Amino acid sequence: MPSLNPLRPTDEFPPGADRLPEGFNRREFLRLAGASAALAGAAGCGRPAKTLVPYVTQPETIVPGLPTFYATAIPWEGFARGVIVETHEGRPTKIEGNPGEPESLGATDAMTQASILSLYDPERSHAPLCAGQPSSWAAFADEWIERRRQLSAAGGKDWALLTEPTTSPTLRREIIRLLDRFPSARWYQHTALARYDEDGAQPDCEPERAEVILAVESDFLQRHPASLRYARAFARRRRVAAGDRRPNRLYVLESTFTATGAMADHRLPVSPARLRRVLGAVAAALGGEGGAGGAADLREGEGAFVAQLAGDLRARAPDVLCVAGAEQDPDVRRWVRAMNERLGTIGRTVRYQAPVRSDGDPRSAGDLAALADAMSRGEVSTLAILGANPAYTAPEDLDFARRLEAVPWSAHFGRHRDETGLRCRWHLPESHYLETWLDLRGYGGEAVIQQPLIDPLHDTRGPAEIVRLLADATEASGYELVRETWRGAGDSAGFEESWRRWLNEGRVRDAAPAVASLGPAPAAVTAWPSWDVSAPLAAPFVIFRPDPNLGDGRWANNAWLQELPRPFSALVWDNAIFLPRGLAEGHRLAEGDVVVLRCGDRSVRGPVAIARGHAEDCILVHLGGGRTRAGAVGDGRGFDAYRLRARGGLWTEGGATLVKTGAVHELVSTQRHFSMEGRDLARWVPAAQALLPRKTDAAGSLYSPWPRTGHAWGMSIDLSTCIGCSACVSACQAENNIPVVGREEVARGREMHWIRVDRYFEGDEGNPRTIAQPVPCMHCENAPCELVCPVAATVHSSEGLNQMVYNRCVGTRYCSNNCPYKVRRFNFFDFRAPADSPVHLQENPNVTVRERGVMEKCTYCVQRINAGRIAAERDGRPLRDGDIRTACQQVCPVEAIVFGDLADPESAVARRKREPGDYALLAELNTRPRTTYLPKMFNSGASA
Amino acid sequence: MAKRAASDRALPLFGAGATFFFRLGLALAFCLACGTGAAVFAYYHSSWWTQVGFAPDQPVLFSHRHHAGDLRIDCRYCHSSVETSAFAGLPPTQTCLSCHSQIFADTAMLRPVRLSAERAVPLRWNRASRLPDHVYFDHSIHVAKGVGCSSCHGDVTRLALAAPAERLDMRWCLDCHRDPAPALRPRDEIFAATWTPPADQDARGAALLAARNIPAQPLVDCNTCHR
Repeated sequence: MPSLNPLRPTDEFPPGADRLPEGFNRREFLRLAGASAALAGAAGCGRPAKTLVPYVTQPETIVPGLPTFYATAIPWEGFARGVIVETHEGRPTKIEGNPGEPESLGATDAMTQASILSLYDPERSHAPLCAGQPSSWAAFADEWIERRRQLSAAGGKDWALLTEPTTSPTLRREIIRLLDRFPSARWYQHTALARYDEDGAQPDCEPERAEVILAVESDFLQRHPASLRYARAFARRRRVAAGDRRPNRLYVLESTFTATGAMADHRLPVSPARLRRVLGAVAAALGGEGGAGGAADLREGEGAFVAQLAGDLRARAPDVLCVAGAEQDPDVRRWVRAMNERLGTIGRTVRYQAPVRSDGDPRSAGDLAALADAMSRGEVSTLAILGANPAYTAPEDLDFARRLEAVPWSAHFGRHRDETGLRCRWHLPESHYLETWLDLRGYGGEAVIQQPLIDPLHDTRGPAEIVRLLADATEASGYELVRETWRGAGDSAGFEESWRRWLNEGRVRDAAPAVASLGPAPAAVTAWPSWDVSAPLAAPFVIFRPDPNLGDGRWANNAWLQELPRPFSALVWDNAIFLPRGLAEGHRLAEGDVVVLRCGDRSVRGPVAIARGHAEDCILVHLGGGRTRAGAVGDGRGFDAYRLRARGGLWTEGGATLVKTGAVHELVSTQRHFSMEGRDLARWVPAAQALLPRKTDAAGSLYSPWPRTGHAWGMSIDLSTCIGCSACVSACQAENNIPVVGREEVARGREMHWIRVDRYFEGDEGNPRTIAQPVPCMHCENAPCELVCPVAATVHSSEGLNQMVYNRCVGTRYCSNNCPYKVRRFNFFDFRAPADSPVHLQENPNVTVRERGVMEKCTYCVQRINAGRIAAERDGRPLRDGDIRTACQQVCPVEAIVFGDLADPESAVARRKREPGDYALLAELNTRPRTTYLPKMFNSGASA
Repeated sequence: MAKRAASDRALPLFGAGATFFFRLGLALAFCLACGTGAAVFAYYHSSWWTQVGFAPDQPVLFSHRHHAGDLRIDCRYCHSSVETSAFAGLPPTQTCLSCHSQIFADTAMLRPVRLSAERAVPLRWNRASRLPDHVYFDHSIHVAKGVGCSSCHGDVTRLALAAPAERLDMRWCLDCHRDPAPALRPRDEIFAATWTPPADQDARGAALLAARNIPAQPLVDCNTCHR
């Protein structure tokens, strides 16, 4: 029988239950106990005085007690995603998607939700540092003026500027302006992650139009600048409730599991050694000459996959779509483009447009490798690094950190004094995106003005201001720089009016033309790439991917993202070397064994985790771990996979070796926490049966039903569209003041997330069928928790909420023991941040911050219910469907979660619950949950 | 040995009055217990504990009696967000100065207000009406539904310094949440500090309860005030 903690299956008490906290002894205890008793007596004599502090001059837009919302944008690998940020009396507390912005459509992802915490990170750089000593911007300007004079004499020779690729028109203009002033200066760009342009074009697609989608190593549903838009479109096409159109069918070829692969109707794990062969066979089956080889040397599973895929593509063209992962080799992406050309999808489901991001800018001198080469030739005497952290993210064979130390004069602009800042002469603090005036473009090309929510908390500058400072040695305001860019864009007479509208709507709707679609591509680009499938590729392969939560490592100091369980592995606060079981058994490795993974002369040391759904011989490592200068939260979490990376194989490396060290590292995963012991919880149906009626599980009850008078709140979660991205978990954490507990406490099963995403696997371990299932509190009508509470701290509301009254709770935990869904969370310790931590500024003032010894759980965002109800009643109108949205519902890119009033038969949730597949978890217990599920639909039948 | 045995016999264990003193002690202990209980009960219900009628010190001797009573300034002139926000609002210094830059501009009493404006340092008022942190009270909905200011804050036009008029404990809140009709007023009397229920308030309140669509049950759900 699975236990709550799989690592110590026989312990009756959780590990550490008998251990005293560190630094604790008897004398100390008696001294503190005596002092506490004395002080408790004294403190009880009066109530604390409370003061009310009004403004001196109240800002026009602020009404105390009411939140204010501003539209802005978050950079996602440089691309804009529109967001609307909630502020309370001037402090940002919560980020939501901007429904009017095409890249967000109202949704966000987990990183965006957590990025608000980084604003209040106590370890952000506060002021400039020179050679590690506190300094000032004025001192930097003085030194820079002198240095700039020397540089000007030579036109900027030996001066290099390194930035991340950007979509910002203002930042790009400032960089070009700098290059115009210093013609010999050179601008390099570095991202550790993928480029989204190929052959001078950037593919963009419309998944909603496609009936058949082939994804080649592409995680377009989660890991893509346009993933929110794509996921929304994909999910709309997948929902078959109306029965008026066919659901789409997704084919995925990939080496390791991704969110997209988990949604696939047909998924083929394929290693880099086999990928080109399979693609060639697909092309051959469609009558193309794409790539050598044919169906002849395919394996059994591959042959069936190719045959069905080819049949579907032929039948449904041109309403089909092929997408390739941006991490893939150019020839694989060219194959996909050629395939799209052949299938006639160009201009229909996919278009190739001019690149939005500056990767291929003609003024740019190249990437990090080019800079490293220039540095090794001694051509860089002055180096300014803006935003990037190359000392950490550079491929190991560039030896960038050592070369950086050899540069005579260097300056690093960043939010933390990180691995790069440590090695530069100057470290200059950069503002958080919520403190910065800038502009960004989304993946589709539409611009958003990034307006600040708050004045910089510390003495920091925005990127455009910094480039202007470098170019002119004078300070300029980001606000003026951005306005300068856009003043000429629209109608200049009406600029002020347009500007206000752009800020208000969070999108520049009418000024600059969207990025133009490109005309027909030259034949050389659309020709089938030629590749030699017979060339032997050395197994096993190391597959590099960004960490699902930490990206390239920039979010490493964000505790929410560290504690957010990774998809598939549910790992927290760590990373691992993911092996398929066959490979692990071949090397006699078990989960947690520490190995040395070696590619050529580079190696990393890390723990092994057994992964499902990998192609044979594929080892997955996530970039972003093993930081050394991220801060107290992020340092030393996992191993640093960049140290295995080489400039020649950024995403795949062959010929790896694994050597067991004998050491064991305990990996902390929530995969088996709060287990519901293998009952029929996550259901799936074939598409053909999705609309057939099924028997209901309703049973009689000895309890009289609750009287239904007014609203009846309920929730429906559609497993068909849930991609398991965990944005809901992160949003809930931001909305409901949920603390982080740390690695050791998670190992004891004490994580506090009110909603969790369970991951189920079924079938062959090499290629399982998988379902992601978000589980919040079910708000049972016959709630087992309510019956056992001795102090009535959890009771039923007239509208069906299972209420938790913190002030009554005495912490017996009976309710948690009696909850069959395991959704209740207990504050074993005081998990609040220290009283003086700036992190408290993020907290939602409408939700209680819980203390030690109190039970808590999902409330259906009762603060939002109350706020929505009060607003409606105040205005004297009935509450409309959609007025109240829970945090998890609002963030969901695929609209899997719907919340509303069951008493209104026309509400979205009531309509969903009338669908035939609707089922309750553990219905046999007759708890009558208000949260129910729709089964996952797989459309894998004979024809699409 | 023998001598000691004899003295043991000579001294009885209890004296002649022991029984009396024991009974007296029992009676005293009983009285003490009852008295302590009664004292605690009395203290808990007295203004010493509830603070009803006790005005805290304030940085400026602001008189509601003068402003709201004599001058008949509307509550909302200073508490401007009472109809829109959970928080009724406290006037920023500039609101004071909208009159007091002209009237009594250089009196000693208003010196803290002038200093606040000059130095841009807010005034720090001491809270008179105080709810516990785990209560989420919303002024706007109470006003919208017809609960007037004086139902909770009393007649401020009779008070020089602000003081709580009611206990503001949970039972007191629930009394009204269980039966709101006696407190409901017509719209134009919500801000009337001297409002007293008319003779036919039972009928009027019931009519307002129905007209304003006030649902009975959600008012006593825990989550209405605690979350």
